[in-house]
Amino acid sequence: MNPLQIENLKKNYGTIEAVKGVSFDVKPAEIFGLLGPNGAGKTTTISIITTLEKASSGKVEVFGVDVGKDPLFTKKQIGVVHQEVINSGYFDVEEILEFQSGYYGIRKNTERIHFLLNKLNLYEHRHKKVKQLSGGMKRRLMIAKALVHSPKLLLLDEPTAGVDISLRATLWEFVRELKKEGISILLTTHYLEEAEMLCDRVGIINYGRIEALGNTQSIIKDFTQREVSLTLTKEIPVKTPALIAQKGTHYRFIVPPAKTIGALLTELHVDSSMIIDIQIKEGSLEEAFLRVLKTNSERARL
Amino acid sequence: MNSGFITLFEREIKRFMKVLVQTVVTPFVSSFLYLLVFGVSLGSQVKVHGGVPYLAFLIPGLMMMGLMNNAFQNSSSSIVSSKFSGDLEDIRVAPITNQQIIWAMSLGGVVRGGLVALVTYIVGALFYYLQQGQILSIEHPLILIYFVIIGGLIFGMIGIAVAFWANTFDQLSAFSAFVLLPLTYLGGVFISVETLHPFWQIVAKLNPLLYLINGLRYGVLGVSDVDILTATVLSLLGFAVFYGVSLWSLRKGSFQRW
Repeated sequence: MNPLQIENLKKNYGTIEAVKGVSFDVKPAEIFGLLGPNGAGKTTTISIITTLEKASSGKVEVFGVDVGKDPLFTKKQIGVVHQEVINSGYFDVEEILEFQSGYYGIRKNTERIHFLLNKLNLYEHRHKKVKQLSGGMKRRLMIAKALVHSPKLLLLDEPTAGVDISLRATLWEFVRELKKEGISILLTTHYLEEAEMLCDRVGIINYGRIEALGNTQSIIKDFTQREVSLTLTKEIPVKTPALIAQKGTHYRFIVPPAKTIGALLTELHVDSSMIIDIQIKEGSLEEAFLRVLKTNSERARL
Repeated sequence: MNSGFITLFEREIKRFMKVLVQTVVTPFVSSFLYLLVFGVSLGSQVKVHGGVPYLAFLIPGLMMMGLMNNAFQNSSSSIVSSKFSGDLEDIRVAPITNQQIIWAMSLGGVVRGGLVALVTYIVGALFYYLQQGQILSIEHPLILIYFVIIGGLIFGMIGIAVAFWANTFDQLSAFSAFVLLPLTYLGGVFISVETLHPFWQIVAKLNPLLYLINGLRYGVLGVSDVDILTATVLSLLGFAVFYGVSLWSLRKGSFQRW
């Protein structure tokens, strides 16, 4: 049973269709990245999973239970880190976490709260109000809040927006640890390099539709091309359209995912004794993402 | 009992205890001034029915006024400030039902309103002792407790409904200024409706707050402008109506931040 199963999810705001039939799932102990530009429908999708918003149609199941039919069960399985920092002006960090635990049915949760405070370097700030915390601390507090009740499914809606590089690295390391503990994670982020390193699978959403979905490496392979640089012992005649630049005996080619390097060399009649150097630059998730969006907007124009 | 409800109730109490000056001390000061100016200074020139000293008449009125205002303020300001800071989303995302939210928040209003009513009674009883030389005893304690609880619940629920409906602070204060305040002042806090022209007596009896104010007055003094059974039944009806209204507002209203 998948921690999260979404089928043909639609959400309309009046005449505006914010989500247009989205389907994807999050498998046990995997990190799934839901990637898309601003306004693509990521936060709306997360809001429907958490019942902050109601779906217009479609199915959202958490561990096999429909979020509309038994929200008390599904909410207990979920921890959510919202995109925007939540203030809670009256209370200090420890009180906020105690209340959060209590909402989920755990009245005495000091051990877990102190574990999270230590883990996220907030222990010495536990008596501070939210406004006294730095931006990074606020983000860490949001993560601690989402984890006080030990959820099995974690929804991270741009958890590192506006966070500096070193803290981002710390947070992602923590996310990896959570995955090792068996927690399934749905992540939205604009940092595609990090998504590429973290996510087992990704879905690229644009204008409320999933445009690409699958294993992260497969998406990269399917939507990007490799750049191959060859330095040879002598100049050779090259007729392939894959060539994008030549400077003396240095050649650069763009190779589609389906074509192997061996096939390129065979086509060029180059054997290994002629090669001084060969460099291969694989495509990135960012390139795949931009390619998907470009194809999508070109299709939309037609 | 349910942990979510208890936690939310505890949070409501802790919240107003953190701003005690605003939630209890300010109502204490205003009650003190009302009692001093109206009860002690002008009291001898105002006649109310049943030979009750005006100061004694005023005390339960001010108790109910403080109770209603503070119960309303407690739930409405809690929700509105949570909408502003965003932590209302935490409550929606957590496994807490709408009924639990309504009960926790309106009972928070009962506690704060009850505390203000108690403080008003203590200050009033002190003035009463100084003026009349005797203790202001409670005639019907159970009726008093009933009206404290039902009044606090009703106004806590009105606060919830208005706060979910309001999209700005302006809309919230507009409800206080244009609906709550006139009805409170014209609901028999300061005057007995029996001293009014018969036409205005009929108009005054259409004001639902009159029944809550006089119900509590009956609990303290044993006298009332309205029949106590009518006040009890109408207050129960009011409770049922506003429970429904607050539930509807939670279902239809937004938990998302401003």
